[in-house]
Amino acid sequence: MAETIFQAKDIVIKFKLRDRVLTAIRGASFDLKKGETLALVGESGSGKSVFTKSFIGMLDKNGWIESGELLYGGMDLATFKQEKEWLKIRGKRIVMVFQDPMTSLNPLKTIGEQIREAIAWHHGKESFKTDKQAFRSEAMKILNQVGISETRYFQYPHEFSGGMRQRVVIAAAIACKPEILVCDEPTTALDVTIQAQILQLIQKLQKELGMTVIYITHDLGVVAAVADRVAVMYAGQIVEYGDLEEIFKSPRHPYTKALLQSLPQLGVKGQPLKSIQGTPPNLYHDITGDAFAPRNPDAMRIDAMHEPPMFKVSETHYAKTWTLHEKAAGRLSKSCETQPSAKTLSAPTNEVLLSVKNLSVCYKLGRKRMFAVSDVSFDIMKGETFSLVGESGSGKTTIGRAIMKIVPTHSGEILFQGKSVNRRMSGAELRQFRQQAQMIFQDPIASLNERAKVDYIVSEGLSSLHLCNSEAERQSKVKKAMEEVGLHYEFVSRFPHEFSGGQRQRIGIARSLVMDPGFVIADEPISSLDVSIRAQIINLLNDLKRERGLTYLFIAHDLSVVKFISDRVAVIYQGKIVELANSDDLFKNPLHPYTKSLLSAVPNPDPDVARLKSFEKYDPSMHAYATDKPSWSKVAEGHFVWANERELEGYKRLV
Amino acid sequence: MSIDLQELPDELFEPLEQDPASLEMTGFSNYSYWGSTLRTFAKSKLSIILISVIGILVAFSFIYPIFGTDPNTVYLDTTKWNQKASLAHPFGTDGLGRDIFSRTWHGTRNSLMLAMAIALVEIGVGTIVGAFWGYMRNLDPIMLELYNIITNIPSTVYLVLMSYIMRPSFVSLVIVLASRGWISEAKFMRNRVLSIRESEYNIASQCLGAPIWRIVLKNIIPYIISLVIMETALTVPSSIGSEVFLGFVGLGLPIDTISLGNLVNQGRSNFLLYPQQLLLPAGVLCVITVSFYIAGNRFADASDPKNHV
Amino acid sequence: MIKYILRRAAQSLATICLVIFAVFMLLRMMPKSGYFTREDYINMDEGMRESYLRSLGVLDPPLVQFKDFIGKLFHGDLGRSITVYPKTPVLDILKEKIPYSAAFGLAAEILSMTVGMAMGLVMSREKGRWPDRLGTAYAVGVRAVPSLVYLFLIQIWVSKQLKLPLLYYGNRPNSWILPLVSMALSSIAWYAIWLRRFMVDEENKEYIQFARVKGFSKKYITKHHIWRNALVPIAIGLPSDFLLIVSGSLVIENLYSIPGTGGLLVEAIKRMDNNLVQALVMLYATLSVLGVFLGDLLVVLVDPRIKLSGKEA
Repeated sequence: MAETIFQAKDIVIKFKLRDRVLTAIRGASFDLKKGETLALVGESGSGKSVFTKSFIGMLDKNGWIESGELLYGGMDLATFKQEKEWLKIRGKRIVMVFQDPMTSLNPLKTIGEQIREAIAWHHGKESFKTDKQAFRSEAMKILNQVGISETRYFQYPHEFSGGMRQRVVIAAAIACKPEILVCDEPTTALDVTIQAQILQLIQKLQKELGMTVIYITHDLGVVAAVADRVAVMYAGQIVEYGDLEEIFKSPRHPYTKALLQSLPQLGVKGQPLKSIQGTPPNLYHDITGDAFAPRNPDAMRIDAMHEPPMFKVSETHYAKTWTLHEKAAGRLSKSCETQPSAKTLSAPTNEVLLSVKNLSVCYKLGRKRMFAVSDVSFDIMKGETFSLVGESGSGKTTIGRAIMKIVPTHSGEILFQGKSVNRRMSGAELRQFRQQAQMIFQDPIASLNERAKVDYIVSEGLSSLHLCNSEAERQSKVKKAMEEVGLHYEFVSRFPHEFSGGQRQRIGIARSLVMDPGFVIADEPISSLDVSIRAQIINLLNDLKRERGLTYLFIAHDLSVVKFISDRVAVIYQGKIVELANSDDLFKNPLHPYTKSLLSAVPNPDPDVARLKSFEKYDPSMHAYATDKPSWSKVAEGHFVWANERELEGYKRLV
Repeated sequence: MSIDLQELPDELFEPLEQDPASLEMTGFSNYSYWGSTLRTFAKSKLSIILISVIGILVAFSFIYPIFGTDPNTVYLDTTKWNQKASLAHPFGTDGLGRDIFSRTWHGTRNSLMLAMAIALVEIGVGTIVGAFWGYMRNLDPIMLELYNIITNIPSTVYLVLMSYIMRPSFVSLVIVLASRGWISEAKFMRNRVLSIRESEYNIASQCLGAPIWRIVLKNIIPYIISLVIMETALTVPSSIGSEVFLGFVGLGLPIDTISLGNLVNQGRSNFLLYPQQLLLPAGVLCVITVSFYIAGNRFADASDPKNHV
Repeated sequence: MIKYILRRAAQSLATICLVIFAVFMLLRMMPKSGYFTREDYINMDEGMRESYLRSLGVLDPPLVQFKDFIGKLFHGDLGRSITVYPKTPVLDILKEKIPYSAAFGLAAEILSMTVGMAMGLVMSREKGRWPDRLGTAYAVGVRAVPSLVYLFLIQIWVSKQLKLPLLYYGNRPNSWILPLVSMALSSIAWYAIWLRRFMVDEENKEYIQFARVKGFSKKYITKHHIWRNALVPIAIGLPSDFLLIVSGSLVIENLYSIPGTGGLLVEAIKRMDNNLVQALVMLYATLSVLGVFLGDLLVVLVDPRIKLSGKEA
């Protein structure tokens, strides 16, 4: 067993916020073994970032360590008071990489200088000016190590893409030669294919430099790919920790179990996902007992009274739950009963509801015309869930907005119920279209007007299109919509900020439902939500489809969700659909190299699969499109690929 | 917390009865924008004092002229000229024997009315134009060019020129000052609106068929209302300052109109002999401008969500 | 880069033209008596005045007048003053007056930059403590109190206390002190407040967090990261400030009787010297547009983000 190099004991961290004291960390303990990768998993607000920031004295000014010990290198870091003391630790021994690479670098300094400066600083003041050349060549070496050509030494951060910037950030971090590298959601802001590369890079560097890595994430798929050991955080405590296999194969804490079960990867299509009800607790209040108890359908009386101790499951596996107490053994678990599905999803019809033909959308950048979407065609049948999958900047959102008449189209045609949409519509036509087609948005915070009451938000469409004859009718419609998404009608007099992310997203859905639409565009409706909330929303969307016979255009970057909910999937890359097929066909038999790459990049929450997986990088220059022009071609029934003649031959052989 | 794990009674391990509906009832955050803004603002004693000072001054300057001494009574008796402060004349009298105390409050009222009128026009127009300017992409180039033209004529030049062309009067001064100020206010509002132009809730409103005026009225203007309040407060000191400046140049309000600007400029000519004729009105003027200025800035700080700690 | 500069230059030129046009049209609203010296006006009868105005071309339609004016402008002819300095070319007047204003303006600008930035630095470092509060109080005072009030007091009261002359005398350097300080007072506050704000803004950015995580000391971060980045937005305004010193300070030159350009415009307007007003307003407006243009260029030099995109990032 490797030696323990870092140990946190019963850390309690408090913040003063709006005159109230918030206990962000409520007694968290863990230890770190030399050379391992420890994944710290938790939802937003679980305190995982705050906890690790305290290791290097980077808590915000209104926060402090109330009690506990942080043992490292024979010191107790929790007793550090002055900046001077921390300077011995930060960078040299423990360094942290943040989530957003776009803001982590100084925009006015070349990336090379930012790395060189870190090297020079840790060599001490004296050598700062004298060894400029030596440091420069060392910085170039590190650049090479993170996969950036040293010729880019003199470029500025804005000349790099997100993924490349994160490499630069990592380079600057490891330039200090730290013992412990803390990565705080380093890939959350990045696309999946970029994420896969950064994960590989961190693993490679860890081996080369013998670092110990703490990896903070909310994504269980990422955990399965990188971690040796896992610690699960909930409401400011570490509720379970153990080896990777132990946590994924035999989770003991009800929260860990529920979290793993709610993943869409593990869901059965057509059946509801197992979801966790409610939201994480409010840390302003004192919490008695098990913080997860209110959301746990199997909670016992003791959960509401006493906080459970850490029970030992094995030498390496511990969990903080009363279910491990001998007296709790053998009790039936409600959550193990399968929730019967009311109806299976009805099969889509053959009636075309929406038809997009050769759609191009461009926007002007200075004088240049950039095509966000070029020559895209697809049909959506009534009653189906059609998914559009792509990375950021692929044009998927633009297509949704073009259909909704938010962005002007450049060429091509959009037909809704046989009528052209992308033209000047008469008042009545437009009103009918606006009522029939609705949109659900990604960000539950940005998509609701903070300054308006829920009542106004939900009935905005009704009043804009004059769909109600009386106030009573409006109220009854709002009430119905609210209840359908599982919210009390009394909530309408509140403001959006009083709701949690999942509840806000449901308000957004109610706002669309109240119009009684036939077609809904869901633009990444779950990607901004916490993991434990996602299943609720997916189930809700599926229930609504069942009850109202809705048709969805589901826009996503996350293939795992797409696989679970959609009938057909189109993969979009740089404004072009490269492949379109039935969901099952696409996942079983991906043809286009980009689809393959995307599939290989998606993290899988099964450690066995994750370990075997290797990422295939897609390089657009692999196609010989200069001589042999590609076209939109049918490979098999319902399976289309963007390919040239030669590629098509190959694909057909595969089917 | 020490509990003996072995001694726990069995019934504690019975299932807990929970109401699933209660899960939905908990509001996640107690945060409210206006509540926090007002709380943050009211937390500072200085803000409260300033608001009271403003309230008292405004009230007094509006009430006093109704009951107080007439500010325009002129005496031919030279002994009544340039008197020092006394009970009858708390601020003394000026070179024509007029009561400066009374003149000060009349002046305060007139200057405040002028400033309020300017603020109303300037901020009103600025807010509406700014909201549309920020929200409607195609307005941007035209408005920016207009802004460049107006602001590139140096402000003193503009003020002097316009008040010259318009002939000084209360109304013309409002027009002169507001006709330059509105575009800066609009630009200021526009910059703030830009940050929410592409925001998803605006797109949602569009998808729901809301017309532009409705989006501006319901989504945009509520978002900048705190700026409107702050700018209104800050326009008061700057308008009073401009009035003093124009008076100095000889293009302010007509000399027979009592205003703080005219009082200050009149007091200046006699300063070496009778300093109180400048200092006392100027003192009142400074209290007003400083109170408005600080209160406006305090409010701006309080309305910034970053400060809602 | 060159393309960007050219585009900005063309834009500025267009703005200057529009401003000149707007001012020109505005001035057509001035009374016609502004084209006569006092004696001429008295000595002429209605018919003579009419024909005199016609000979000047001011009875032509405004657009024709504008064309003539532009034509002369290209030959460096700004016209002649009428009432203020009868029959003197505007250019000559400016040549005589600008040196005074420029000398004072330049000195005041340098004074306020050094003092103001030093103040801003101290304030941002001591954020929330007494030096910061003192500086803020100063800035609030200077900005909230109408400048005339404290400028009077400085001239009359401070001059007595310090036994300095009340007015400006070219040969007595101690009479230069008060006007100089008066000019710098408000811009000191300006530099201090904005530098402080930009530094605090910069300090709160994530890359500063990351720099701290890398182990740099606060002193190092302030010197090598915050300071430089906070200067960028300040640099934008510098060229304007320096160019517009030419226009002089109206109030201060007036108070201290400095023979600079400051009082010229007001004098011209009061005496209805249409030609002089026209020339001055256009000069100042042009300088101000030029200042904004140069400010943008300066930013291109210090901020690498703008080179590539040709647009502000």
